[in-house]
Amino acid sequence: MTDLEFNICVDDYSDGVYRFILKISKNKEDARDIVQTAFEKLWVNREKVETLKAKSYLFTVAYHLMIDQLRKESKIIMTDSFDENANAITQGSSELKQLLLEAINNLNPTQKSLILLKDYEGYSYQEIGEIMQLSESQVKVYLHRARLILKNKLTHVEKMSA
Amino acid sequence: MINKNNYETYFMSYIDNELNAAERAAVEAFVLTDSKYAEELALFDKTKLHAPNIEMEDKIFLYRFPEMEASLDIDFKKSLYKKEAPVGKIIFTPNLMRASFAIAAMLILFIGLQLFKSESNIVESNIVKSTLKDKTALAITNNSSINSKQTENTILPNEVNEAAINKNSTAVLSRLAISKKINNAKFTIAESATTNQAGFEDQAIVNNNMNTNIINTTEGLSQTSRENENNNKLTAKFNQTQISSTALETMANEEEKIILPTNYKEIDTEEEDRTINIGMIEIDGAAFRGITRKFSALLKRNKIDKEK
Repeated sequence: MTDLEFNICVDDYSDGVYRFILKISKNKEDARDIVQTAFEKLWVNREKVETLKAKSYLFTVAYHLMIDQLRKESKIIMTDSFDENANAITQGSSELKQLLLEAINNLNPTQKSLILLKDYEGYSYQEIGEIMQLSESQVKVYLHRARLILKNKLTHVEKMSA
Repeated sequence: MINKNNYETYFMSYIDNELNAAERAAVEAFVLTDSKYAEELALFDKTKLHAPNIEMEDKIFLYRFPEMEASLDIDFKKSLYKKEAPVGKIIFTPNLMRASFAIAAMLILFIGLQLFKSESNIVESNIVKSTLKDKTALAITNNSSINSKQTENTILPNEVNEAAINKNSTAVLSRLAISKKINNAKFTIAESATTNQAGFEDQAIVNNNMNTNIINTTEGLSQTSRENENNNKLTAKFNQTQISSTALETMANEEEKIILPTNYKEIDTEEEDRTINIGMIEIDGAAFRGITRKFSALLKRNKIDKEK
């Protein structure tokens, strides 16, 4: 990877990695540090990493850095601080979306990561498995469980509102 | 095949875009069979998040510009290091040490040469003095007309001068030695005067004895008148010798006042037995060369140690 290709990667992937980490860690400083470290590692290993695999490499590094960070800070149990970013994730201003965000916050980091990687970044099950070091079937099962949780939450809210 | 038992999995795979075209078509056909399935598929679709428009701040720091990260060579960096020299102290760098030793050596050689030249001038002037003394001695012998003892005494300075001339030929006389010999020459001149006086006294005694014998043999001559005559003659001779000795001293003094021309002597630098005078110290040429070689060897060794 040349320095030009690396800078293109910064343009294309830095925001994605940042919001992925921010959604889970809920800390802008931590997210920025993790993104910076991930790109630092990519620069150091630029001779080994192909340009086409750069995005996957960045997310993989960032994900594991984030997990390490959460373990260190004992932040495995997510709090409701994600609400501060609710306005940024607006998909309309409905209560349903707000409830969805709350439901996502209640997922465990693995399920949350699976949802974010799938919906935000559009990774396939296989790619998510590579990033999170899971098998494709594991990704499918864990992700479907997370979707069912969210769907049941939305069903419950709709029934309540009806 | 999609059915009422597995349709959720198909619906989730459908919204995750993990189905192929045939499977997708099968799902869409299944949804049309019952509105309940269409609502469920819509609910699953609502669980799908859409990427928010979040941009990272300070993204500029992530860019890499190799030309900005270019670093200087370590050796070049070391050459840029500066160390503030302490005020009031001279740092003797190897070059400064060499230069100072070279200047010191040149000064020593210059002083030595100057002293050597001055010594040669003294020796030359001594030669001229000796010739003049010879002439004065001859004048004294001609004018005084005293006995042979006087003549022998006047030769003494000539012998000293001859010795000085011989020493001049070797060209190794020190200034101190020359000055001592000049003083000795003066002393011998004065001594010669005193010996002359003693000689005249002895001769006066002999003459007195002779005169006494004459008085005794001639039997009639008045003793007192002859003694008086002899005494007068001896007194006159003694006075004459005294005058001659004082004249010798005055001439020697006048000679010293004469300004003599400077004569330079050619030095054989290849001579092995040559000596070098530094002030009052006389150093053998070979020994001096040995000292300088040892000193240069010591400097070289120090330089090699520093380089290591």
